[in-house]
Amino acid sequence: MSAEVANVHPTRLELLRLKHRKSMAEGIVDILKKEIDALTLTLLELVKEFSPLRQKMYAEVNEAYNLFVEAQMVSGSKKVEEASLVTQPVDYQIFESTTTGVLGIQFPVFKLKQNQLSEPRFNPLDTPASLDESSSRIDEALHDVVKLAQIFESVKNLLEVIATKKRQMNRLQFKILPGLDATIRYVELILEETERQDAIRVRILQRKRKERSMKNV
Amino acid sequence: MPKLTVEKLKLIDNKQIIGLVGASLSHISSVLQNTPYKLEILEASRKELNSLSLEAALQKNFTRTCEELLTLSSGGIHSLISGLLLKFEANTVKTLLRTVKANLSTEEALNYIVPVGNLNEQACRKVLENSETLEDVIDVVSEYDYGEALETAFDVYLKTKDFHVLEVALDRYVYFNLWKNAGNLWGLDKKIAKNIFGLEIDLVNVKTVFRCKKMNLNLAEIKQYLIDVSSVFDKIALNKAITAKDTQSTIDSLFKSGKDALARDHQYIFDELQKSTITSLSNLENVLDRGLLDANLRMIKRHTAFFNVGLLLAFLTLKRFEIKNLRAIIRGSEAGIVPERVKEMLIFKRVN
Repeated sequence: MSAEVANVHPTRLELLRLKHRKSMAEGIVDILKKEIDALTLTLLELVKEFSPLRQKMYAEVNEAYNLFVEAQMVSGSKKVEEASLVTQPVDYQIFESTTTGVLGIQFPVFKLKQNQLSEPRFNPLDTPASLDESSSRIDEALHDVVKLAQIFESVKNLLEVIATKKRQMNRLQFKILPGLDATIRYVELILEETERQDAIRVRILQRKRKERSMKNV
Repeated sequence: MPKLTVEKLKLIDNKQIIGLVGASLSHISSVLQNTPYKLEILEASRKELNSLSLEAALQKNFTRTCEELLTLSSGGIHSLISGLLLKFEANTVKTLLRTVKANLSTEEALNYIVPVGNLNEQACRKVLENSETLEDVIDVVSEYDYGEALETAFDVYLKTKDFHVLEVALDRYVYFNLWKNAGNLWGLDKKIAKNIFGLEIDLVNVKTVFRCKKMNLNLAEIKQYLIDVSSVFDKIALNKAITAKDTQSTIDSLFKSGKDALARDHQYIFDELQKSTITSLSNLENVLDRGLLDANLRMIKRHTAFFNVGLLLAFLTLKRFEIKNLRAIIRGSEAGIVPERVKEMLIFKRVN
């Protein structure tokens, strides 16, 4: 695809301006490349955190389920179900805030808070300890879920920023810079042509002056 | 005489029980049909075969066993077994209260109820149909022995809105009743019964202390859940345990209290706890339960010269733990829990 030549006056001043713009654009491309590298490093660090945290969350949910089944094994499934009829549900709230990260990007911060209950959820005289343990594992798993959501949202933000910067870089590299190169070449060509014509004009004028001077003599 | 009848009632061999770990429900059901659980298992097999129906069958068998022993006994032993059956009746009352609080329909509520004693199916249905609130349930059951305790607890519930207050009141009444009935026996029977029930009550309190400490409850809050009758761990001993800084210090404090009271069975149990690696509260509860079972059997060995109530209590404890083990196996099989984990949860007498 041929680059577009800009509609400019083919003068030396314009040529200087075009060259200045080209060096600016190249500098911006360099900066964008470095920014994308930094963002990619941050992205990789987040991704590295994500997988083990997800494994940990699965393990906790698994363990919570096993402990819940153990509670059923100790007390009986009906008894555990019956205990749940009068168990106070736990109220969770997620508080959202942001923190400034790499290159000033705002990353979300999610905090999970549990409303404290005034009395134990399960009657300690009537239910096995594994029910408490299951409940606390689920609580830990929920905290991990919120952390995962935070990482996921941060990764999403990062990817959007990386995509924007890549688009900017690509636009500079494949549209603006080639356009500038083509325009500079065009102006240089025009200037060369003008110089050649000037040179020819000067020679013609010189020859005519010489002929006139020869006639006068 | 129940002391002789107990010898005729059979328990399942431990090896046979271990052999059921990891087996399918249909295999477990067919094996149990050749045991004292035959009647109830056959009845359950006619309906849907799942862990719920098998658990209900085991529970029915235990209640039936206690009722059979009740018809054969008299005097103090009769009161003792009545006290044990009262535990089941109290559980039924708890179920009634829970289902009414949760606003379940009569039919839904009856799914949870195990009829026993005064609260047979008709009585429970009548209670559910005529009760819309907890107060209605308490009014209906006020005519029974535990009615007064429930009414007192209900006044506290109205102030605090803590449902557990009602359940704890029932449990306290049941254990107080058992302790009183044990005290009404004579001679060796009285000594053995007070040892066994006293130990059971102490262990219930100890489990409660550990759990409540894990939940970071303060002294006053923990005391709300304690059974205030005791053979060895009185209020001072329990206070010391509650205020100990960690699990190990709590165990050491309880061991010392048992030692100071010259309570051998308590010392055995807490000595084992001191030597074991306790990884979780459920692990600790297992050790305590095993200790209770061993104490029951130790009682028979100590007093073999005469027939005594120890044989009856040991049998009922063994039966209770047998049902607990079978329930663990059945539910573990249904949920696909690995056999090794199920075996860790089983409670057997020590082979010595």
